[in-house]
Amino acid sequence: MTGDKAFRTEFSVKGREFSRAGDVSCRIKNLLKDIGIDAGTVRRLAIAAFEAEMNVIMYARQAVISLAVTPEKVSIIVDDEGPGIPDINLAMKEGFSTATREMRELGFGAGMGLPNIRKNSDVFHLTSEPGQGTRLEITVCLDGSRP
Amino acid sequence: MTQAKQHAISINLNKCTGCVHCLTACPTQAIRIRDGKARVIDRQCIDCGECIRHCPRDAIESHTTSFSDLQRFAYKVAIPATALYGQFGNSVLPYEILYALRKIGFDHVYDLSAICELYIAAVEEYLTEHAQPRPVIASTCPVVVRLIQRRFPALSELIVPFEPPREIGAKILRSTLPAALKLKPEDIGIIHITPCPAKLVSINHPATMKKSFLDGAVSIRDIYPPILDILRKKDDTAIMRHLFPDSSMSGLGIGWSISGGETRSLPKFRTVAVSGVQDTIHVLDQVESGLLRDVDYLECMVCPDGCVGGPLSIENRFLAKSRILHLAKKAGDKSVIDRSEIRTMYRENFLSFQHPLEPQPSAPLDADPAEAIRKAGLRDEILQRLPGKDCGFCGAPYCATLADDIVRGLADIRDCPMTWKETP
Repeated sequence: MTGDKAFRTEFSVKGREFSRAGDVSCRIKNLLKDIGIDAGTVRRLAIAAFEAEMNVIMYARQAVISLAVTPEKVSIIVDDEGPGIPDINLAMKEGFSTATREMRELGFGAGMGLPNIRKNSDVFHLTSEPGQGTRLEITVCLDGSRP
Repeated sequence: MTQAKQHAISINLNKCTGCVHCLTACPTQAIRIRDGKARVIDRQCIDCGECIRHCPRDAIESHTTSFSDLQRFAYKVAIPATALYGQFGNSVLPYEILYALRKIGFDHVYDLSAICELYIAAVEEYLTEHAQPRPVIASTCPVVVRLIQRRFPALSELIVPFEPPREIGAKILRSTLPAALKLKPEDIGIIHITPCPAKLVSINHPATMKKSFLDGAVSIRDIYPPILDILRKKDDTAIMRHLFPDSSMSGLGIGWSISGGETRSLPKFRTVAVSGVQDTIHVLDQVESGLLRDVDYLECMVCPDGCVGGPLSIENRFLAKSRILHLAKKAGDKSVIDRSEIRTMYRENFLSFQHPLEPQPSAPLDADPAEAIRKAGLRDEILQRLPGKDCGFCGAPYCATLADDIVRGLADIRDCPMTWKETP
């Protein structure tokens, strides 16, 4: 992470607060637009941030979502306290979902969240401690540069 | 004393008292109070007319075409928005309104319900042919088009690339009338009758074509009194019915002025209809976050309940809606168009945009990314110092807007009265 040149901010998200679903990703999206990031990249990040935010609301107790923007890249870190993911490889499979029937009826939990986040990011890093929580780190490179 | 340019809305500075009603009503934060008067930031205004609705002093003027402007045309054609049919009493039928327009001085009056049906039939072709991307967004409301260009630029490509019914109607007339009447095209004036000021902007500054097929837009507000005068006389009933037979009206098109009017004609697809500017913004935010991908067609109208809620209409929108629903129910699903003709028009791109809709993203905090990043941080720090009361006293609608203006060099922290104590 580049030091002083970055714009950093943090948001907290509470689990089960479905009524506020999308608020944080929307704020992140508007911030990125204000910074002048191109529309296509903003959309990728908006989709990734929204999916990450939904995962917190659906499964975790709470989380801190940190955003860091430099002229080279945008990083989003989602650090949650929650049940964690016992098998990350399984969780990354498209269509795999542990969503309850209630969540599916609400239109969530199609098992596309994590694969969708990975699809929309250049660097994707997911670690989890079952029973403790999950940490998701994603980066999208700007200027079309890819690591 | 007006400041009209790109827009159909301007502030009458003699009437404006600098109160904050329009300031907070504006969905794109395009208004500031400067020197005690409301000012519109041209770049941000989408001509939705929310300020007109909220101004308690009638100080916000909309610039539509006046009757006197029409005198330059040898032959005048009116294409009224179907919302006009809901503006008069329960017993007043569309043909009587169309006939009244003739009596007022239009040489020809063209009902749009059939063109609305034509548009949606073409949308059906488009949806069938293009499985992706989703959701496809309607192009009918010019404010939604502008909102997407400015606030949701990445969604520009989702808009169905067809001109709205009013333009298609005008295009058909333009391609047939001059020869039929043996008149020069410029002598024929084709005028929309509109419940909102945004139509005039879409005519004067079209987003997807070089020149509009329409020559102007008269507001329902202006045309209501003369129509009412004619209706009161109630004569010539037989001629009226003969000129505008009920059989020429489309049951599928007549309900277009209310939210859900378009989606009703797409039973084979998954559709969503949204109305009202805040709800439209909310749903477009969701689309931008990747939601609604299982929806084929998204109809958005920024006026509450659709065009019947237009700021330049007269009748309250609930009554207008009730009348339109009644008309639509009476007409049922009656179709007046030939599907194979639509397919031909679709293939020949008769309805298509002349050029793609160009995204017009709002200006970043700074053209230099590093500086924009610095300003974003500074803006957060400034916001921390502001009281968070969103009182509007500084001239900006919210504390966050003031912080944004400050880092853009458009305002000063001392504009906030609550920081006076803090700064020496």
